[in-house]
Amino acid sequence: MGLAAFVLALALAQAPLVETTVGMPGRLQEVLLPGTELVVAPARSDDPLVLRIVATYPHGDANRYELEFWALEAGDYDLREHLRRADGSPLAADELPALPVKVGAVLADPRARPHAPAPTTAQRLGGYTNLMIAAGVLWVVGLVWLLWSGRKRRGAGEKHEERPRTLAERLRPLVERARDGQLTSTERAQLELSLVAYWRRKLGLLDEKPEVALARLREHSEAGPLLSSLERWLHEPAPSEAVDVAALLAPYRNLPADLLDERVGAAAR
Amino acid sequence: MQDTAPLSQADLERTRAFIQAVRDRVGTVVVGQDVVVERLLIALFTGGHILLQGVPGLAKTLLVSVLARSIDLEFARIQFTIDLLPADILGSEILDQRTSEFRIRKGPVFTNLLLADEINRAAPKVQGALLEAMQERKVTIGNETFKLPAPFLVIATQNPIEQAGTFELPEAQLDRFMLVHRLVYPKPEEEREVLMRNAALGIEKTEKGAIARTEFDALAREPVGSTKELVDAMEAVHRVHVSETFVEHVVDLVNRSRVHPAVELGCSPRAGISLIKSARARALMHGRRYAIPEDLFALAEDVMIHRMRLKYEAIAEGVTNRMVLDELLSALGSGAERAPKAVATHA
Repeated sequence: MGLAAFVLALALAQAPLVETTVGMPGRLQEVLLPGTELVVAPARSDDPLVLRIVATYPHGDANRYELEFWALEAGDYDLREHLRRADGSPLAADELPALPVKVGAVLADPRARPHAPAPTTAQRLGGYTNLMIAAGVLWVVGLVWLLWSGRKRRGAGEKHEERPRTLAERLRPLVERARDGQLTSTERAQLELSLVAYWRRKLGLLDEKPEVALARLREHSEAGPLLSSLERWLHEPAPSEAVDVAALLAPYRNLPADLLDERVGAAAR
Repeated sequence: MQDTAPLSQADLERTRAFIQAVRDRVGTVVVGQDVVVERLLIALFTGGHILLQGVPGLAKTLLVSVLARSIDLEFARIQFTIDLLPADILGSEILDQRTSEFRIRKGPVFTNLLLADEINRAAPKVQGALLEAMQERKVTIGNETFKLPAPFLVIATQNPIEQAGTFELPEAQLDRFMLVHRLVYPKPEEEREVLMRNAALGIEKTEKGAIARTEFDALAREPVGSTKELVDAMEAVHRVHVSETFVEHVVDLVNRSRVHPAVELGCSPRAGISLIKSARARALMHGRRYAIPEDLFALAEDVMIHRMRLKYEAIAEGVTNRMVLDELLSALGSGAERAPKAVATHA
């Protein structure tokens, strides 16, 4: 017994200090520890060191261990603090010899430290389900608003859409400007074709081809002379007979707006 | 509108007399076809070219022959076929074996009136050679360039049936023709007259036999008008007045063709130029010293239809160029508001 204690003391006395660095494993082999079998004590979350027993061999009344450890912070540690009896019996502080290890830092000070955790915000009021319901309600309200405003705008557009001017309405200002001698060449062209159109509608010749309709108009007792005078006025370089524009256009000054409606032509047919 | 002096009444009467003489001479051989004769004379007086579209047997060749002989013009006819070469039309250099030198052999294009029969049967290279000559009025053979005679008028024909093995003229080349006129069958009374005249032709005896006479044999050799009278008529056409109002009508009509929803490619400014040129000639032929909208309406079909390209969607829906033109003319002739100005875009 005395010899065993001596050998044990000798072995413990000769155990070299194991050194390693942060994050790198360190290993202690052939560590003879007295008493019943030892296991690693449950670790805490903030333990800077993690210990693992790789193998256990019976050695008389004692046991031999192979230990492995990792440290997350540099410093001096005693592995003894991380052991307990497998059978649950209490382990006195001086019952085991010290198992000192040294963990060095690779990085020079000051080392980068993670930020302190930011203060968390309060959890969303009502949670995801309520959020989705609110979004759905908003979407429906938006859709209804869009449909309603679109209908309103279209209604307003229809209200403001100008009805196409009738032929008489187009003719009237042209005749007035012609009497004042203020017609541009474009307006002269419009006036000529408007008057032709007036007579085509009046005589029900809208379905005829324009050249056929013109030939028919020439034969008409009223339209024929008008056309001839109009052509002399608008196209002949030096009219052989002077054209009295005011008298020529007098019948077309105050035509009712609806006189030259399509219905007039239809009725004439 | 023009710098030249306006046409005097005397010049107008003289030109009308010449035109009437030509029409009467044509009328002795060709029955009816007044509109075609009018269009041919319009093309002749304005220096444009004309394409006649019609089925065979409508007296196209006879018409051109009698027109040429009526005014003492040279006339040549080319039957276009698939194996025709540009040199067959324009001419070529040939080696004279006696002198061992190349000499120029001018082709049938060197004439006053050229009838290009069934132009769509020739390969595009040949069509291109003729159309280039029509445009430039000169021909280069070897290293020499020759001017074509004046007047120079190409009257081409195209058969609307039997399209297999033909090369349709693209729009750009059709645009070279001032007028494209579509021939129609004669009226029943005209056709009756044609048959009666043909039946009275009889036979022509030769030394050893006889051969049935044709209308070509009945062509009188003596012209009723000289080339000078033709030149005077051409000059008179240029003195026909075109008012600003008439130009407005033309611009409006051409612009309407560009903004019509069924039209992909509307009429070019050349269409407007052709409308004014041909309207002047028509006005003269109808005894007027100025053009009027009636001329525009009458000529729009021949000037504009071949210059419009419809959209595929419109074609698929059965829309035709004629339908579009009828719509444009109806809108113009019914005093509809002017169309918005077309904007040229680059694809």
